[in-house]
Amino acid sequence: MASRNALAEAEVRAEYTLPETPVVTICPSRTWVALNLRDLWVYRDVLYFLMWRDIKVRYKQTLLGVAWALIQPLLTMLIFSLFFGKLAAIPSDGIAYPLFAYSGLVPWTFFANAVSSGGNSLIGNPSLITKVYFPRMLIPCAAVGAGLMDFAITFAFLLILMSLYGVAATWSLLMVPVLIILTTLLALGLSLWLAALNVRYRDVRYALPFLIQLGMFATPIIYPASLVPAEWRWVLALNPLAGLVEGYRSALLGREWHWLVFWISSGVTLVSFVVSAYVFRRMEKSFADVI
Amino acid sequence: MRPIIKVEHLSKQYHLGTRAAQSGAVRYVTLRESLVEALRASFRRLGGQKRPPMETIWALDDVSFTVMPGEVIGIIGRSGSGKSTLLKVLSRVTEPTSGRVELYGRVTSLLEVGTGFHPDLTGRENIQLNGAILGMRRREIEQKFDEIVAFAEMERFLDTPVKHYSSGMYLRLAFSVGAHLNPNILIVDEVLAVGDASFQLKCLGMMNEVTRDGRTVVLVSHDMSTIAQTCHSVVLLQDGRVERIGPAKDVVDYYLYNVLLPTMGTRHETAALENA
Repeated sequence: MASRNALAEAEVRAEYTLPETPVVTICPSRTWVALNLRDLWVYRDVLYFLMWRDIKVRYKQTLLGVAWALIQPLLTMLIFSLFFGKLAAIPSDGIAYPLFAYSGLVPWTFFANAVSSGGNSLIGNPSLITKVYFPRMLIPCAAVGAGLMDFAITFAFLLILMSLYGVAATWSLLMVPVLIILTTLLALGLSLWLAALNVRYRDVRYALPFLIQLGMFATPIIYPASLVPAEWRWVLALNPLAGLVEGYRSALLGREWHWLVFWISSGVTLVSFVVSAYVFRRMEKSFADVI
Repeated sequence: MRPIIKVEHLSKQYHLGTRAAQSGAVRYVTLRESLVEALRASFRRLGGQKRPPMETIWALDDVSFTVMPGEVIGIIGRSGSGKSTLLKVLSRVTEPTSGRVELYGRVTSLLEVGTGFHPDLTGRENIQLNGAILGMRRREIEQKFDEIVAFAEMERFLDTPVKHYSSGMYLRLAFSVGAHLNPNILIVDEVLAVGDASFQLKCLGMMNEVTRDGRTVVLVSHDMSTIAQTCHSVVLLQDGRVERIGPAKDVVDYYLYNVLLPTMGTRHETAALENA
């Protein structure tokens, strides 16, 4: 069977005429390189299969399977509600505290997991870097993309929780897709930068869990942004995720929008994504030599 | 006829200490070291001193050659002569320091069998993943799927996670995916010697078929008999430079008698090597 096929292929190949210009040219790249979107498109199937691998592997050989996606934010929400909502009586902008905490935890859990797996994605797959070529950017992209699956599950539960608490849907819900895209871009930007840095400096691997832990306190998840004194609110706005998390609460729970904070967060997100992508491309050429 | 691969003045420099493969020991630079080095460098600049030269090595040094369509070219040389670096540059895994390569066709490289294989995924899932990583489109994988499975003799274990495979089965499956790629240019590092004897024969047969039907192949191997049998011409590398280039038999003979022989004991051993 193989030989018959090979014969057919040989006929095809006999007709192969050399193109006038090279299909691939290899030469040292200049300092500032293009993003090479064409290659990203050519290798899009790799992104699909890497994402699919991450999703499939994630809960293999676990007893609870995909339920783990829900357990993490759910238990955190219960503990937060008990200690911060009940005992410490932290205000929550008039929203029931469990709903308030969970609506912050959904995007946060996605972001934290995405950045942590994205940031470690390159050093976790050294043979993909030293043995084969495809745009390396796809590896952190797949790690972040795979997290969207868990995000969908936890988000579905958020909608259930909202209906249990009798939250009415408003037109603001239309902002949710925009927020999801921005959150993904933010996680992706940070992942690209950390993954590239991680190849060269393994310090990143150790700093990452710690930074993520700190990030949770720098983001209004346990507390509302309104708890921060007005003259210090701008410090919080520097953290783009803060604006996005508040955005989710405005879109879903009908709390008023802080448009200035939202626009600042969106701007920071987009700029940091583009800068990270370029930094990644610049560092990419040395990956195979230093990983 | 125009060449399908043009390699022009290709050079690749490594800094000793940052080259991971050097002496087998993997060395990482920590952030602290880099910061300290950056501080030192700025102090030196203030003091008008130059940076001490870093020890470097030219893994490839002004390498030029061309390959015609349908030609099977072997790359030989002692270990450390730059063969692997050349393949890595041709496969776009690492960038050259200077020089240029032009490839006039779709390239696939097999520097390792089973790149991206995940132990927890089944044989079926790994075929799809590995195929995509090696540059196959999703539809192409579907089309060739049965053929790949049949070649690997793997029908019964398709839905078993590959971590339960024997190492021979694993390699067979991995090689089978690589053998069914359909590029214009195929770049292969010594991945032929996998599996048991009967499967090795099958692989060699496949290789011969592939090379006979007009595909351009760049092949690195330590096995001189494979090289002499399958290649039309051979490039001999030594210390990163092209030592000799020409018809396979001539260059292999030159390599055996003028490069290997002086480092080996007796003529007897070389003869044994040649007959191997």
